Amino acid sequence: MVSEKSHLGDQQEPGHEDPNADARPLSMPTRRGPRSLPPIPSASRTGFAEFSMRERMREKLQAARSKAESALLQEIPTPRPRRLRSPSEKELETEFGTEPGGKIQTTQQEDDSQSYSRVKFRDSVRKIKSKTPDEEELLDDKDAVDFLLGLDRGAEDIVAVRPADYESVHIRLQKEKELLFIPSRRTVPTYKKLPENVQPRFLEDEGLYIGARLEVPRTNQNIMENRLLMQEPGRRWFGDDGRILALPNPIKPFPSRPLVLSQEQDIKAELETLYKKAVKYVHRSQHMIGSGDPPGNFQLDIDISGLIFTHHPCFSREHVLAAKLAQLYDQYLARRQRNKAKFLTDKLQALRNAVQMSLNPAKTPKSLDTTRRAINEYKSEIRQTRKLRDIEQEKDRTLLKTIIKVWKEMKSLREFQRFTNTPLKLVLRKEKVDQKADEEAYEAEVQAEISELLEEHREEYEQRMDEYRSAHQQWKAWKKAQRTKKKKKKQGVEEHPDDEMEEPYPGEDPVKPVPPEPTNQAVIEQEVRERAAQSRRRPGEPMLVPELSLAGSVTPNDQCPRVEVLRREDVKRRSVYLKVLFNDKEVSRTNSRPLGADFRVHFGQIFNLQIVNWPESLTLQVYETVGHSGTTLLAEVFLPIPETTVVTGRAPLEEVEFSSNQHVTLDHEGVGSGVPFSFEADGSNQLTLMTSGKVSNSVSWAIGENGIPLIPPLSQQNIGFRSALKRADAISSIGTSGLTDMKKLAKWAAESKLDPNDPNNAPLMQLILVATSGESYVPDFFRLEQLQQEFNFVSDEELNRSKRFRLLRLRSQEVPEFRNYKQIPVYDREIMEKVFQDYEKRLRDRNVIETKDHIDTHRAIVAKYLQQVRESVINRFLIAKHHFLLADLIVEEEVPNISILGLRLFKLAEQKRPLRPRRKGRKKVTAQNLSDGDIKLLVNIIRAYDIPVRKPITSKFQQPPRSSRTFSEKQAASPTTHSPTHSADYPLSQVLVRPFVEVSFQRTICHTTTADGPNPSWNEELELPFRAPNGNYSTTSLQSVKDDVFINIFDEVLYDVLEDDRERASGIHTRIERHWLGCVKIPFSTIYFQAKIDGTFKIDTPPVLLGYSKEQSVVAERGFDPVRSLSEGSYITLFITMEPQLVPGESVREKFDSQEDEKLLQATEKFQAECALKFPNRQCLTTVIDISGKTVFITRYLKPLNPPQELLNAYPNNPQATAELVARYVSLIPFLPDTVSFAGICDLWSTSDQFLDLLAGDEEEHAVLLCNYFLSLGKKAWLMMGNAIPEGPTAYVLTREQSHYLIWNPCSGHFYGQFDTFCPLKSVGCLIGPDNIWFNIQRHDSPLRINFDITKPKLWKSFFSRSLPYPGLSSVQPEELIYQRTDKAAAAELQDRIEKILKEKIMDWRPRHLTRWNRYCTSTLRHFLPLLERSQGEDVEDDHRAELLKQLGDYRFSGFPLHMPYSELKPLIEAVYSTGVHNIDVPNVEFALAVYIHPYPKNVLSVWIYVASLIRNR
Amino acid sequence: MAEVHVIGQILGATGFSESSLFCKWGIHTGAAWKLLSGVREGQTQVDTPQVGDMAYWSHPIDLHFATKGLQGWPRLHLQVWSQDSFGRCQLAGYGFCHVPSSPGTHQLDCPTWRPLGSWREQLARAFVGGGPQLLHGDAIYSGADRYRLHTAAGGTVHLELGLLLRHFDRYGVEC
Repeated sequence: MVSEKSHLGDQQEPGHEDPNADARPLSMPTRRGPRSLPPIPSASRTGFAEFSMRERMREKLQAARSKAESALLQEIPTPRPRRLRSPSEKELETEFGTEPGGKIQTTQQEDDSQSYSRVKFRDSVRKIKSKTPDEEELLDDKDAVDFLLGLDRGAEDIVAVRPADYESVHIRLQKEKELLFIPSRRTVPTYKKLPENVQPRFLEDEGLYIGARLEVPRTNQNIMENRLLMQEPGRRWFGDDGRILALPNPIKPFPSRPLVLSQEQDIKAELETLYKKAVKYVHRSQHMIGSGDPPGNFQLDIDISGLIFTHHPCFSREHVLAAKLAQLYDQYLARRQRNKAKFLTDKLQALRNAVQMSLNPAKTPKSLDTTRRAINEYKSEIRQTRKLRDIEQEKDRTLLKTIIKVWKEMKSLREFQRFTNTPLKLVLRKEKVDQKADEEAYEAEVQAEISELLEEHREEYEQRMDEYRSAHQQWKAWKKAQRTKKKKKKQGVEEHPDDEMEEPYPGEDPVKPVPPEPTNQAVIEQEVRERAAQSRRRPGEPMLVPELSLAGSVTPNDQCPRVEVLRREDVKRRSVYLKVLFNDKEVSRTNSRPLGADFRVHFGQIFNLQIVNWPESLTLQVYETVGHSGTTLLAEVFLPIPETTVVTGRAPLEEVEFSSNQHVTLDHEGVGSGVPFSFEADGSNQLTLMTSGKVSNSVSWAIGENGIPLIPPLSQQNIGFRSALKRADAISSIGTSGLTDMKKLAKWAAESKLDPNDPNNAPLMQLILVATSGESYVPDFFRLEQLQQEFNFVSDEELNRSKRFRLLRLRSQEVPEFRNYKQIPVYDREIMEKVFQDYEKRLRDRNVIETKDHIDTHRAIVAKYLQQVRESVINRFLIAKHHFLLADLIVEEEVPNISILGLRLFKLAEQKRPLRPRRKGRKKVTAQNLSDGDIKLLVNIIRAYDIPVRKPITSKFQQPPRSSRTFSEKQAASPTTHSPTHSADYPLSQVLVRPFVEVSFQRTICHTTTADGPNPSWNEELELPFRAPNGNYSTTSLQSVKDDVFINIFDEVLYDVLEDDRERASGIHTRIERHWLGCVKIPFSTIYFQAKIDGTFKIDTPPVLLGYSKEQSVVAERGFDPVRSLSEGSYITLFITMEPQLVPGESVREKFDSQEDEKLLQATEKFQAECALKFPNRQCLTTVIDISGKTVFITRYLKPLNPPQELLNAYPNNPQATAELVARYVSLIPFLPDTVSFAGICDLWSTSDQFLDLLAGDEEEHAVLLCNYFLSLGKKAWLMMGNAIPEGPTAYVLTREQSHYLIWNPCSGHFYGQFDTFCPLKSVGCLIGPDNIWFNIQRHDSPLRINFDITKPKLWKSFFSRSLPYPGLSSVQPEELIYQRTDKAAAAELQDRIEKILKEKIMDWRPRHLTRWNRYCTSTLRHFLPLLERSQGEDVEDDHRAELLKQLGDYRFSGFPLHMPYSELKPLIEAVYSTGVHNIDVPNVEFALAVYIHPYPKNVLSVWIYVASLIRNR
Repeated sequence: MAEVHVIGQILGATGFSESSLFCKWGIHTGAAWKLLSGVREGQTQVDTPQVGDMAYWSHPIDLHFATKGLQGWPRLHLQVWSQDSFGRCQLAGYGFCHVPSSPGTHQLDCPTWRPLGSWREQLARAFVGGGPQLLHGDAIYSGADRYRLHTAAGGTVHLELGLLLRHFDRYGVEC
């Protein structure tokens, strides 16, 4: 009733609403409900109490709202509109907040409230009009609070107690019936589901693929169908077959994540997981970055069980037959097991039955057409099967026949030779057959065949007949046409004479077809019977089953003829063993087993190969030993490498056949091998058999202790291309060897009943179809990445042609030519083709020995060899470079401890500017962010001593013309012209020398100012820029800088060239000439490693300096410096350093493998550690690396070795002279520093013979050779390791003479006394003798201040002592050095060539001037050079000068001989260039150049070059 | 002839239950791809986060490929390992992601997984460390049928890769 009331109100509403709607203010935000909300059905059963309460609320609310509205209407201009509005807002919010009843209710309420508000609207308006706004406000607030608190002042008048509402079940059901539809469960008849008059259509029967439907219970389906029919009368839910449309069942028949049981066997190998213990990584010496797989030891088990020869030279004829028989028998057994004939017969039977069945039309509901097709197919299949069966049967029969034949032959042979060799025995067992049944079957078979054949023939006949008929028709037509034509022709010959020529069918005169022969049943029957008789067992004939047994007895030896006995003896003497080769290396071999009389060898050995890499090949070699003579390799057997799934215990024994092609003829009964023999007496029917056999073996992967197969991972890195292939190989990962076998695949497809119509299987079905249809083309390759080629952007060639890519790759591979290449152009066209020229040339020339640069071939070979050694070492180095220690990566500042802090505190109290300042170390710069011009080489030239001085031309008999006198001479002479006699004797008046120093480095030349006198002091700093090769300032690049710093000392000579004496008053016209006096060469690598070079160096002066002498200095300073006079020569004091200082690269800490005793190696480490602890700066060497990269104990290098006999014979009575000669010989071997060639890697020590073969080596090789020579000369000699300038750490030789010690520089051949101040050796680290090492533990290390008495243990710490006695290490040196005499003719030829080349070069260097050669002078010089060689450049100067003067009196001559060891041409050219002789540009200058090569044994060549310039005096 | 530069870094990893993580990574490409420069694989340092749970490696990756086809686009495979207090290393997760194919910088998150193993192995892993690992690492990026594996989720490896492509448009590949 209440609801009705409200309903009423609702209905009344529109009438009220419309007039007011427009009057409502627009600014009312509280009106939210949509106005057109439909009325809510009255089904909601709101309680009266609730309702009334709500009503009250609404009333109040409405009242308040309307008041507010009216107030708003009235009081728009009032300043507080917000306050007025606020309560109503609040109300609404509460309404939403407190009543979670749902939207419907809320809207209803709202709606109600709206309606009420409208009802009450007028009243309230009226009310408002009568009240003041202030009162309103108060009231309003109060009401709102009441409402909010839910208080109701009149609760009792809205509460009423009523019974619970109940509706009976019937009523409810009744009501529900009206509302609900319950579909029936009955089956819907099909016609309802389909359009009218349409028969259901079953797609599946028509051969279309329909997936399996989802299983749904029948009742559910019915319900659904009924419902659908009711709901939507259109039948679009139903398919053509009257069923609900449905997708194929999406549910897979098996769960996709099956429970993995640990025992499950069929987990694929590559998905197997492996429980690994947490491992602590041991840092390996190889790459740190790299393969994640820890290297393991993997194991391959090779089980060699035995060997059977199928033919052997010692086979007797009987053996040959026996082998054949055995083979045939095996074949027979295999065939019987397969029993293909039976299978085919069955098949045939089945097919026939099928044809019978399909011929019977009553049973098949299918259309006639399909039946016929099927029958045709069946028939063709029958035909094929029959053919196959016949072939098989025939094969069986012939096999059996052959077996019997061989057996018979064997028997006859046995009878013939009257002994038996083999226990083989063949028994033919007859199986009785039921003759009658057999005959029947036979006959039935024949009949069936005949009928089939007949049918075939009939068909064929009909077909032919058809053909015949049509052909006949055609022929007839043609004939007719022909006839009419002929008639026509006869009529119209006159009109068209040309027509006669034409033929209607030129050249195609149809022959009259012959009708085909009808089939003759008798003939066919005849054929069939013949065939059956041939290939099949005749009916009633017993079945023959051969059985081969070894039951026969072998005739004992004493009953055999001699040849046979011999043969048996021979067999007994033979034994066989197998070698196992892994990756072509022999890893093990079996025991040698005697060959049995049956030519079977049983080994039964299992070899466990511990391997690291994936195997590349596995080979067995079969060796045979005859008696005690040598072994012969019979054959090689290649074993397949097992798949990763083949593990020990699961691998079956396999027989691998082998055969050899050796020819053996034996003089006994053995038939030999590879030679023809015959069974017949007359020698016909010859047979040639090769030794062959089978090895039964199995190869498998071993299983580790915890059941892990020890298989190297496929992804193993270091097997190069193969591994890459393997990794990408899908097959190996899927393990589908079955996939490639089409037959297997087809069989599987047939077994698994694949639905051929399922689109999912389409590719598979196609594959099988193609594979089984026979004639299909099966490619013999498998493409890994299908369609790769088709989708390629470019071809491989084009990719490889790209220069940019090539350059990028070569750069990243660090190929020497491109190692430091900086930027690579973006486009190919910007890359010059010639970039690769050098590289390609090098690749090409790798094995070609170039003789152009190296004049003699031996050196060319050596250079090549050195290049190869260098490359291999560098490759090693590149690998080793990736081996980092923690310290290489992390710079960790030391935590300051108390002592450092203390020192710091002390420093605070230090003087700011101490009186004696201490040198502070410069900061070192790591060479990474440097660029060109950042690094400078600073050369401080301080002073020089004993520079040769000019010799005045004092020859009395020849006064030089004035114009050619030197300027300074003139100046000096001018005041003393009145006393010309004094000039020669008076030292003060003498013209001395005006030397200056020129430093050249990397084509930059700087020179000092000119100083005066033989002991000049320049004290100048020269700054030379340094450029690294390719702008790469990395350590390795800097280490390999090969440039030298040349410090040349010149004399500046001024010549007055004024022609006219009258002009002398007004002008000076002089020409400056400079004369080379000597040079010092310091390699950059030395500066780089030493950081600074500070000291006095001997100037390398030519042995003869024409026009200069040193006598004066001796005159002037005699008695002043007695020490200096000991070692004569000129000296220069230098200080060289780099700014900023670079960090020198460290040598590689690679541990080389060694063949030394482990104890010895430990002792060396200990010794070195102890030494380094005490004197970290002193060099201590115990082990060195030989040229093959092995660590060798150093004393092994020292051993007396004979010097060339030629040298010993030179001064037989003067041991000192001999020693000097030997030292000279050693110094003539070219010097090649390891540090440069092997970029800071390590010192490689070659033995003396290697050194002499290479003809190039480092200081240590020279020192070792010299020391060995001295030892052989009977001197006491030691290798002395120390520091020298300018070489840095180096090796010298120390010898003990009677009373004193001599220090020999092996590279220059000079020797120094122990107390020589100019000795370049500055510190001594250790001495090495042939049997011990002594480390210097004295306070000082300068040779001047130490005692060389090694017997004192307080001064020298020896390596071998009483606690560790010398174990007697064998030497690595050869027993004796063998010297070949150098070919004199070759040397002479070389000499000529060098001379020619040098002359050409000089001409090249003077492009703007004419170069004249003075032949007379040249020949003079050429005569003089051998003298110099003989005297080693000493004591010839005066004679020489006199002679020259005599001969070339009217020339002014300047020149000097250069002496060098010969290595190659380039240094010679450089040396000549550096003297600057060619620089003279006087117009009338002439040149002379002579070369002399003195050959020493072993191709050691001493080269003298005399180069001079001559100016004719007028 | 097209070229691809992959320049970026392995930023780090989050969400692993272990601390002290390091990562081995490698790039696998098809046969059509040629590495012109850069290293294909590497290993980061061990990072022990001090604050937060993200292990930062910031390991640079810089590769330059040339390719003659799109097949076998480079893919990254990752193995996250953890090092315990004894210095032992154990597997924490395998991850895999393709190198993005559009140029520009890409932030990649590569979730990882590790084989679970039997309950015994899980127990052993919990107490003494170690754990099941894939025998053949290539299953990370090419496992055709991995469904047999039971795995547990590891954390996520974050990568930041910049891609530079060249000449792809010449062959009709828009990117």
